[in-house]
Amino acid sequence: MAKVPRSFRLLSELEHGEKGIGDGSCSYGLKDSDDIAMYEWNGTILGPPHSAYENRIFSLSIYCGDKYPDVPPLVKFESKITLPCVDQQGFVNFSRIPSISNWKRDFTLETVLVELRRDMAAPSNRKTPQPPEGAEFPPADLETIAKQRNL
Amino acid sequence: MSGLPKRILKETERLMADSPPGISAAPKDDNLRHFDVTVAGPESSPYEGGVFKLELFLPEEYPMNPPKVRFLTKIYHPNIDKLGRICLDILKDKWSPALQIRTVLLSIQALLGAPNPDDPLANDVAQNWKENQSAAIAQAREWTRQYAQ
Repeated sequence: MAKVPRSFRLLSELEHGEKGIGDGSCSYGLKDSDDIAMYEWNGTILGPPHSAYENRIFSLSIYCGDKYPDVPPLVKFESKITLPCVDQQGFVNFSRIPSISNWKRDFTLETVLVELRRDMAAPSNRKTPQPPEGAEFPPADLETIAKQRNL
Repeated sequence: MSGLPKRILKETERLMADSPPGISAAPKDDNLRHFDVTVAGPESSPYEGGVFKLELFLPEEYPMNPPKVRFLTKIYHPNIDKLGRICLDILKDKWSPALQIRTVLLSIQALLGAPNPDDPLANDVAQNWKENQSAAIAQAREWTRQYAQ
């Protein structure tokens, strides 16, 4: 199979994201519309119904490093959330989400957001009390952290 | 990268041995479907004197589907957007398997010589191009000096 390079892969993800995904419960786009290297992205997840996350919009920052999609993106919640796969700084720990812990090249930003939302709705998580709405994780320099983690 | 179709091997060979004037294209070592491309700005266009970097990718379905191409060098052109995406019919619905990498790159070079603000991709640029053509051309020249030299 032809191996789609990072740039064309991200361009097609961008087009897909601009059209809107499925029922609108997740969305994403480029943070800066003229970032030709397409490093920094924004994402949102609408909290799943019948859960402690219901009626909240969670904002995320996503950094797609030079090795994406061979390696996962760096994903950070900006909105404060209590979820086992999210650390104290808001960063997503992929090893704590079984469905994507074993990263595959055909996983996309959409996959990540949809699986995070599914994790919120999981029986073990959906009743976890949540921080007050509007609270945020401390800001972080995603570029530096992505480089440290070799992403 | 194994089992590269003969057509792609042939096209690559010819591009490397005998590339059209002002155009170069070479596959990357780690992905023979992914090309580093340069296109020189055509004479007597606002892009004259500039050398523009592009990247080109031949998808699995090539040549039934067109190559994917984008500019890496910033360029002020009504049919090229901020991410370097190109609005060109043969890269979309007018693609035919009879076309080649070479013809695509020549068409892109021709597009630099003949901007088409009536079929814009970069709306702000196209609007400027229509309302104040001489200012738009001056801007295109300036960007060429700034980013493509």
